[in-house]
Amino acid sequence: MTELLQYVANGLVSGGIYAIVAVGFITIYNVSKVINLAQGEFLMLGGMVTVALIGMNLPYGLAALLAILMVTLIGVLMQKYVIAYVKKANPISLIILTIGISTLIRGIASFIWGKDAFALEPITSNEPISIGGVMIAQQSIWILAAVLIILFLLWYLMDKTILGKKINACSVNPMAARLMGISPTKMSMLAFAISGATGAIAGIVIAPLSVTSYDVGVLLGIKGFSAAILGGLGNPLGAAVAAFLLGIVESLGAGYISSGMKDAIAFLVLIGMLLIKPSGIFGERSVGKGGL
Amino acid sequence: MMKQIIDKWGKSIGIYLFLMILFPFVMPDEYYRSVGIIIGLQAIVTIGLCLVMGLAGQISLGQAAFWGIGAYTSAVLTTKYGLPPFIGLIAAAIVPGLFAFILGRAIAGLQGYYLAMATLAFGYIVQIGITEWESVTGGANGMISIPQMTFFGGSELSMYFLIWGVVTCVLLFSLNLLNSRVGRAFRAIHKSEIAATSMGIDVRKFKLNAFVVSGMFAGISGGLYAHYMGILDPQPFGLHESIKFLTMVVIGGMTSIWGALIGTILIGFISEALVLLSEVVPGLQGDVDTIVFGAILVLIVMFMPEGLVPRIRAAFEKGQAKKAKAMAEEAQRKQQVERKAAT
Repeated sequence: MTELLQYVANGLVSGGIYAIVAVGFITIYNVSKVINLAQGEFLMLGGMVTVALIGMNLPYGLAALLAILMVTLIGVLMQKYVIAYVKKANPISLIILTIGISTLIRGIASFIWGKDAFALEPITSNEPISIGGVMIAQQSIWILAAVLIILFLLWYLMDKTILGKKINACSVNPMAARLMGISPTKMSMLAFAISGATGAIAGIVIAPLSVTSYDVGVLLGIKGFSAAILGGLGNPLGAAVAAFLLGIVESLGAGYISSGMKDAIAFLVLIGMLLIKPSGIFGERSVGKGGL
Repeated sequence: MMKQIIDKWGKSIGIYLFLMILFPFVMPDEYYRSVGIIIGLQAIVTIGLCLVMGLAGQISLGQAAFWGIGAYTSAVLTTKYGLPPFIGLIAAAIVPGLFAFILGRAIAGLQGYYLAMATLAFGYIVQIGITEWESVTGGANGMISIPQMTFFGGSELSMYFLIWGVVTCVLLFSLNLLNSRVGRAFRAIHKSEIAATSMGIDVRKFKLNAFVVSGMFAGISGGLYAHYMGILDPQPFGLHESIKFLTMVVIGGMTSIWGALIGTILIGFISEALVLLSEVVPGLQGDVDTIVFGAILVLIVMFMPEGLVPRIRAAFEKGQAKKAKAMAEEAQRKQQVERKAAT
């Protein structure tokens, strides 16, 4: 029993990270109908830049803050100079484009930092704490806290503020939004900024628990996307729930089947889901028409 | 069928054959021949990928996985079961073809991002599977002493011609496909699936066929790769290679088989140059080629979405038209002068 609970607890932590990635995908997708396949690279950059800045003797908090700002800026620049430029491109071109950007970011990261893996100091002590026999790293609690705060803030922004209503308006009907004086381009830029910032935060909080290196973004990106599909693309809440489920399934698979197959399990779930119900567990909208 | 192709692409095929045969003799160095062999192997994969991307309008980010399945199928059959490489190669085409069929059947209704992610995930599953199935594939350590092909003595030169012979077959097959009723159906699908469906084209079936053919091409190439290298490990069959294949097709021009071939040759030499560069320049760590591939993908989509070959062809045709026009004007002027002289 304790073993099972332990696996569930581990799964919740990784599921939380997938949830942030999934919500990042959806934020951008809803506004600009682009799936940003460079989403995972935002996480990688968040972790790596923080490690690099701490290496330059900056204090932890300042390094993390600068890293978040930097990744946010990268998201904005990406929207402004690349995505906005090819507005009318067909889906296949958009996929190639964001795959290109993610490859480029990964390549530059490996050029700057090499292929070594880096670890970040945990925010509080390394000592795990025990809850009813289940051992939880203190960093895991920080991760879950960060995930829940981010999800809450995003929900608040989208559902309770005027800005959120503007963003939603653009996702429902960009033309009508423009007529009301809302700039879809600006909202799209904002979406990229949000996904950059949340991605970077996620990247920073997981860096102490699992080491970070130039290529961690790919796996996190695909798993976040899997969660977004499982939950129903376009539905942030569904995606978050699906992400936690995915994390737990993966952790159980790693525990009871084979730890080497951990990642394969997540992908088999994805392909299985696409077979049975491509619109996701909770969604009915926008099936497979990505980018249109 | 052959006649039609020769009528349409005779000149290009002539130039291709001439350069292909000339290459190993003007590059007598074994090293360049081996580069030529690797590029040939990649061309077999990218021509198949071009059928999927350019013609059926779909994207596959897992082409290296089919390549890997082919390589391991032939390697395991010949090494563990002692079958001749020829039989291994046939299996190397069939097994990835089956995988493509099953995966394709499963995801034939998917488009765009969904298909991209499904193939990306498939690529990961295959690479993990190869690594984890240690008893058969040797896991991360890989396999050694895979039998070499004994084709006219098995020298580097004979391997070069064997592999480029296969490239030529694949190329002619694909050009024929492009020129046939099937090719027209593919192009219709690429332009508008709805219109194609309403014309009675079974879109799903065509996309599936393209996917299976591309998987088989990649598998054959993988089998040849295994027997050429003699050793295998899971490392070359991941996302990095799939993105390299993608870059090759995109830079040449997605909708053109010739584009895929020229893109492959171009990127093949660029990556080789980068390897040499990183040996000469100290401090060039990491995958410099990754930066180059990423940048090429982004720049092509932004500034030249149709790719190099269609762009060059358009420029060439424009030049020809200009020349023809100038000649016509010149002739007219001469005629006028003559007429004036006569009166």
